[in-house]
Amino acid sequence: MRIFAGQRAFVLQRISALVLLACGTAIALRLAIGPQVTFAQWRTWVAQPLAASVLLLVAGALFIHAWVGIRDVVLDYVRPLALRLTVMTILAAGLSVLAAWTGFIVVTHAL
Amino acid sequence: MRFKIYRFDPDRHTKPEWQDYELRLEASDRMVLDALERLRAQDDSIAFRRSCREGVCGSDAMNINGRNALACITRLAGLSEPVTLAPLPSFPVIRDLIVDMTQFFAHYHAIKPYVMNDEPPPERERLQSPEERERLNGLYECILCACCTSFCPPSWWHPGKFLGPAALLQAQRFIVDSRDRGASQRLEFLDDVYKLYRCRTIMNCAEVCPKGLNPAQAIERIKIELLRRSA
Amino acid sequence: MASIGHRISGVVLVSLLPFAVLALQRSLDGDDAFSSLVQKLQSPSGRVVLAVVAWAAAHHLFAGIRHLLMDVGAGSSLAAGRASAYAALVAAALVGAAALLA
Repeated sequence: MRIFAGQRAFVLQRISALVLLACGTAIALRLAIGPQVTFAQWRTWVAQPLAASVLLLVAGALFIHAWVGIRDVVLDYVRPLALRLTVMTILAAGLSVLAAWTGFIVVTHAL
Repeated sequence: MRFKIYRFDPDRHTKPEWQDYELRLEASDRMVLDALERLRAQDDSIAFRRSCREGVCGSDAMNINGRNALACITRLAGLSEPVTLAPLPSFPVIRDLIVDMTQFFAHYHAIKPYVMNDEPPPERERLQSPEERERLNGLYECILCACCTSFCPPSWWHPGKFLGPAALLQAQRFIVDSRDRGASQRLEFLDDVYKLYRCRTIMNCAEVCPKGLNPAQAIERIKIELLRRSA
Repeated sequence: MASIGHRISGVVLVSLLPFAVLALQRSLDGDDAFSSLVQKLQSPSGRVVLAVVAWAAAHHLFAGIRHLLMDVGAGSSLAAGRASAYAALVAAALVGAAALLA
């Protein structure tokens, strides 16, 4: 799996972390502190192409970050090769499906 | 003072067990090693390595009350009883407190711990400015006692593949040595899933280093250098 | 200690991802779905879940910031490492508590 070898994984982890740090904190603060968001506001916000793109960027960063992180955990604790490959495949498939689903949700509501 | 010592003799095929000892301390008993030597007078089957008795050879590294340390510079005063002496964690035990350091030294050799320089040798030494020599501080003092590597969780999970804090600190020692010309080779060697990047900066290594070194920081610096060279 | 917390909080967050995506879907399905989702989150058990998520996210975030600082060379000394670890643990606990009580 050269694609995620050593430094590449490290860098992807850090970059996705920075994206999540910036956007995620902004979103979390808005939800926690700002006035209660209504359905209408939420729906119109997602429909805007720029907002939808930002949402997709955040989701992308989230899934990449989650993958590198969980891969590290599996590498450390799941040693037998067959089991490790199985677990990695299941997790990769699971995260890919979730990522695709998220993309689908955002894109269909932005159109 | 009460002691609890890990005993294991593979020649007798017995399982490891803890043995209790009692020692009346004298004024001259300051360090754990002093106590061990006197305990050996009581029971000469206790096996442990020791040499310089002043914290520079690294022979008597062991786990004292759950923390790795050098027995010769760990004070007895203040240790909670029974003082528990165990071999360095996760290393194969040869006997009692003596562990097999083969894997540890293999990792050390893997990082090529010597100056690589094919330029024609000068008349006398390869010179270094004081600033260049300064860069080796905090790296050259390592005595290869293995307190750090045997206390490092990623080293426990990946003993053969993760090089461990000691070897990585030594890798950095040669990467920053101005007389060495092999920096890019050394860095490329380290860039894979296991050798360097299993480090999670848990910092157990820095916590237990008897010479006050910081392998975690050295490792971070290697990662930063790798980043710099790839950007 | 902060390091294993970093790992545990990460695993907790990943295991909650399917539910988060589901919630995203529901929140956009329609006015009723949105309201019922908000109601569920404000119920007692919903608030506990939110507090757990808030703690996990905060801990993971603060421990992550600690790592990023070390990456740029700040805070790799032993003293700094210890101090930032405790700061992260305390801050995350506070966030979790705040989420629970707010």
